[in-house]
Amino acid sequence: MDLKLLHIFRNTPFGREMLLGSSYFCKKTGVSPVIYIPEYLKFLMYFENDVVQVDLDKSFLKAPGTAKEHAVDIVRSQGMPDPEFISPKQFTASTLPDIPVNFNFMCCPRSITDMSSKIGLGYIGPKVRRIVQSAKFPVLIASSIYKEWTSITVMFGGSANAVKALRLGLRIGELSGAPVDVFTQEGKKGRQYYEKEIDKAGLSNEMEENVRKWHVFDSGRLSENLYHIPHGSLIVIGAYGHGVIKDIIFGSIMEKVQTIMPNNLLIVGPNYGVEMG
Amino acid sequence: MCDLIDKTKLNIFRRPALNFFFRLDDRLLLITIGALVGICSGLSSVALNSGLMLMFHWLSKLSHLWWFFVIPGIGAALSSLTLEKIFKEGAGHGVPEIVYSVSRYGGLMRLRSAVSRLISSCLTIGSGGSAGPEAPAVMSGAAIGSNIARFFSMNDRQRITLVGCGVAGGLASIFNAPIAGIVFTIEIIIGEWSAANIVPIAIASVAGAQISRLLRGNQIAFTHLNFDTDITATLAAIGLAVITAVVSIVLTRTLRRSYAISSRIAVPVWGRAAIGGCLVGIIGIFLPQVMGEGYHAIQRMVEGTFNGGAAIVALLVFAKIIATGLTLGWGGSGGIFAPCLVIGSFSGLMYYHLISLLLPGISLINEGYFALLGMAGLVSGTLQAPLTGLFLIVEITGSYEVILPLILVSTISTTISYAFEPASFYLKDLIERGHFLRPRTDAKVLADLGIREIIEKDCITVHPNMLLGEFINVIQSSHRNYFPVENEQTGEFMGMIHLDGIRSYIFDPLLYETVFLEQIMETDIDTVSIDDDLSDVLDKMDMNNLFSLPVVSSNRFIGMVSKATLLDKYRSELRLQAFY
Repeated sequence: MDLKLLHIFRNTPFGREMLLGSSYFCKKTGVSPVIYIPEYLKFLMYFENDVVQVDLDKSFLKAPGTAKEHAVDIVRSQGMPDPEFISPKQFTASTLPDIPVNFNFMCCPRSITDMSSKIGLGYIGPKVRRIVQSAKFPVLIASSIYKEWTSITVMFGGSANAVKALRLGLRIGELSGAPVDVFTQEGKKGRQYYEKEIDKAGLSNEMEENVRKWHVFDSGRLSENLYHIPHGSLIVIGAYGHGVIKDIIFGSIMEKVQTIMPNNLLIVGPNYGVEMG
Repeated sequence: MCDLIDKTKLNIFRRPALNFFFRLDDRLLLITIGALVGICSGLSSVALNSGLMLMFHWLSKLSHLWWFFVIPGIGAALSSLTLEKIFKEGAGHGVPEIVYSVSRYGGLMRLRSAVSRLISSCLTIGSGGSAGPEAPAVMSGAAIGSNIARFFSMNDRQRITLVGCGVAGGLASIFNAPIAGIVFTIEIIIGEWSAANIVPIAIASVAGAQISRLLRGNQIAFTHLNFDTDITATLAAIGLAVITAVVSIVLTRTLRRSYAISSRIAVPVWGRAAIGGCLVGIIGIFLPQVMGEGYHAIQRMVEGTFNGGAAIVALLVFAKIIATGLTLGWGGSGGIFAPCLVIGSFSGLMYYHLISLLLPGISLINEGYFALLGMAGLVSGTLQAPLTGLFLIVEITGSYEVILPLILVSTISTTISYAFEPASFYLKDLIERGHFLRPRTDAKVLADLGIREIIEKDCITVHPNMLLGEFINVIQSSHRNYFPVENEQTGEFMGMIHLDGIRSYIFDPLLYETVFLEQIMETDIDTVSIDDDLSDVLDKMDMNNLFSLPVVSSNRFIGMVSKATLLDKYRSELRLQAFY
């Protein structure tokens, strides 16, 4: 098993925090970091059923002379071996670099394309959203300031995507040895519904054995109950599993969570399907 | 239950192949969606055409002003800025972009491409730049097809067909030429004739042309004239084919040279586009025929009413080539089709005048005939697509009676052009970068396979401190003749043991308790990475006369790739591609 995480490195203090966050994730889970230092402001990612053009903000091209050295130093500071670097092998006819997508994880800041000032204000950039929606791998959104995590909280709302998130959370728990909590905001459906969904997914035994606590909130608003998630926790959450129309009308729960929580987030999109050994 | 029904309905909408009606025949699904793509791409072409008409109308009011020559510069700069800053797309006319996406990524294209080239080329051509609206129409149609396929979650093969539908619909609509739409799509974009492709593409082409006829009227681009061709006229066409081949080689090289020269100028792309546009404007002061798409000049040549002798027409050929290079090579946006038609008709006219001068006794039919053949010769030579050139000219002029000389000119021009420029203008860059992958070719089959699919993981790893005696036991339980050696503590890959290399040790029992694997393993061996291209892996095997190679990632042994497994997968992939 050789799991890999793609990190687009930005050679700035903010980029350092991001790389520290993803290096820590790699260290905890035994994943190898693969770093791309952009040489162009645009690149393409061809997923199975979508092509995403990422238009980086200019800070990604800052100080290219020291970028590799800084990236290696940051990864080493986490006690990890030197990372692998990738450069685009393919260029489209209009000379846009085309980055491979066969990774197990990808680390993104909340916004990869817009002004850095929006980061930390809970704004999730459109390109990050597209990547989450199209990628087969989960996307790690590291917190704006490097933050270690000691436990895992899976947000479980009963959807197919939430089941995938639960499965991933349990696997990350197994890889990292961190305790796993499950958080459910109970709607009209009642606890039994969630239990049935977990049972249907064949996760009941694993839940019983590996989950430290299942927090089911039957009262209060989601935004208030999120306070109960430990501050040192990696949140694993499914995203965009309800379809475009429902998301437009009711909003995405994931986007709501990420605006409120400063924690590291691991987001599982609707196309998530990478085998994790 | 209600929820379940809603989900099923949604699934049928997003995945129409689930519907019983479409499951009767997959082609029915493609035909239905292909027609939708054809209508949408037809509409986008009509929108482009209307935008161009509007631009021509507005800007013609300024044509008497002394500073009018800067207008093409402003248009080209705005066009480049629109592409770069608003749509954040690279420059270029777009056709290679479509071929790239079809070759490598099952026709995946960005939605923004459906409008970006329409707007940018409208600005370039509408302001007088020497380019055509066909490539943008084709690009827009292709992006529409790709995104409709994405919306309906269609697979790669279906998506490629729908990209083809978009291309055919766009081209059929802009020229009102449905057959040329089909032929161009098959010859240039998809590269294979199969019933599964042709039917939906033909339907899309009809839909695109019909939309154009509904909204713009059923008119051909150029007035239909009857040309009475005899044997002399047909033989004269051979000479013209040679001329158009030479001109198309010059045009292709000029375009590439213009791009190379402009890239060396240290100004932003929009600045380069502005300089190129202004230079076109300056040429246009003296030779206004070189500006814009140039269809008026063609019309006059076909009708035989164009004024100018051999020298003037030769100058126009040269000037139009330069103007096209300055427009497209310097950052403007647009296609090569229309300039090819204009340069081709000038070349035909030039040839007519030359023949008349050199052989005054020969009675030739009028110059319009040669203008028409010249267009076919230049399109065929530049695009190296003889059928596209042939059918396009028949459809846009309605002149079926000249089909024999048209076939001659198209095929000879393509052949001569191919001898000097083995790759067409559209495909040269892609071929040079190894991105031109046609279905069922070796390169395509290998590109569609990855090391992950053929990796053999049933290898038994051994460690360097193992005694030869212990290793003999390992050999007995393995059916392989190679064994990767890993560091016992760190798991790092250290080397390989091939049975062939240690035969002399195996048959000497005295060495069983004294020799460690570290002493006999090979450490200087070639490895491949899991993300390497299979064509590179095969090259490595061939170069070193190997039948298998270890796959190593982050210093860890992952598995082996062998020629035998590759051949099995290669055949299955080839069968799969042939089946579709």
